[in-house]
Amino acid sequence: MSSGKLSHSVAMILKALSLGYQFGFEIMEVTGLPSGTVYPALRRLERDGLVSSQWEAEAEAFEEQRPARRYYELTKVGKEAEMAATQRYPLLARLVPEKLGKTL
Amino acid sequence: MSPRKSEAESEIEDLDVPVVALRQEVRGICGRVLPFAARLTPAQRRNEWLREWRAELWCLQHGGRRVRWDHDVMSAASLAYGMMADAAWLGFDAALAKRRGTASACLWVLAAWCLVCAGLERMMMGSWTVFWSVLETHFLNGYIFIAAPAIFASAATNPVRPPRCEGTHRRGWLTTKARWNLFLWAKVALTLALGFFACMAATAPLRMEIGRWADWVEMPLFAVTVTAGLRWALLNQEQRCQTCLRMLKQPTRLGPPSYNFLEWSGMELACSDGHGQLHVPEMRGSWCWYDLWVERESGSETVERIA
Repeated sequence: MSSGKLSHSVAMILKALSLGYQFGFEIMEVTGLPSGTVYPALRRLERDGLVSSQWEAEAEAFEEQRPARRYYELTKVGKEAEMAATQRYPLLARLVPEKLGKTL
Repeated sequence: MSPRKSEAESEIEDLDVPVVALRQEVRGICGRVLPFAARLTPAQRRNEWLREWRAELWCLQHGGRRVRWDHDVMSAASLAYGMMADAAWLGFDAALAKRRGTASACLWVLAAWCLVCAGLERMMMGSWTVFWSVLETHFLNGYIFIAAPAIFASAATNPVRPPRCEGTHRRGWLTTKARWNLFLWAKVALTLALGFFACMAATAPLRMEIGRWADWVEMPLFAVTVTAGLRWALLNQEQRCQTCLRMLKQPTRLGPPSYNFLEWSGMELACSDGHGQLHVPEMRGSWCWYDLWVERESGSETVERIA
């Protein structure tokens, strides 16, 4: 997926990931996008190598008494795509606020 | 706690959005949809998918201070739709990846294009009677006469080795060789049909304007499409695994080209299911006239040269 083909929704998801939001619900919450957009987009981005994912350590999740989550992060290609998307949609930075605290 | 974090937390509190746990209706609907949606995902990813969604649903129930669940049923419906869309996307993508490059996918795509071109022609002709009559006339009085020498020319000047398969093992009720030949002939037939329908559809507006004079455009177009189509069909056949008929992948360059006379150099393509490799020499010579298919035997690790 080249940066030229990125839709606005995908650009928002990439921006959210670049700001440290790591999992589906967090991204849904911060971007306001519905789950029907966020999750398939994350799968597609992962398939295309813009995003990689890994499971949270069980011990860490157990400590917080919740199930382990699957965390997503940008790859090198994803970071380049995110920068191109930010240039293409300059208002993205205002739409997606920086992550300040930890989500429960 | 950093001053920045406390500022953020107070900001969230100031939003006057209540910390609303997911209500019973939402949990109920999502809980019921989850096992159905899971069936859409590919079997090997199902457990992981369920685990991820359970974690996400937990988060919706216990976290999420900014999300306002004003209409629980609507929120549940949206979430359930998201779940289904996610599962369906995974299932569809897996099915597509499984079919991509296969012989059946190739034949289906060619057949679909034939139908599209024939449909266009039918639309422009206006009635089935005219459509069949025009097709018959142009096929018998033009296409056959052009196609026959063009088929011969493209087969005779085929740059790769004469199409053949030496595989004798059985896959299903046909041997590898029979399946390979069947696919080749089906592909050639569909390619020729597509060439015919595409030319007819492309020249239809011209035929309506200038009548039989359009044949002067149609005939060379037939010759070009038959030659190019057949060349593609033969090259495509060469670049397929002889066992599973899937397109070969991972092209890798081997050997330095400057040592061409001393050592083998060229390109290697491999079957993604591990059935074998195709060696394409950089420079053809008496030691290697054609591309070489090297089959990997499944039982033993021996590599047998069959071409």
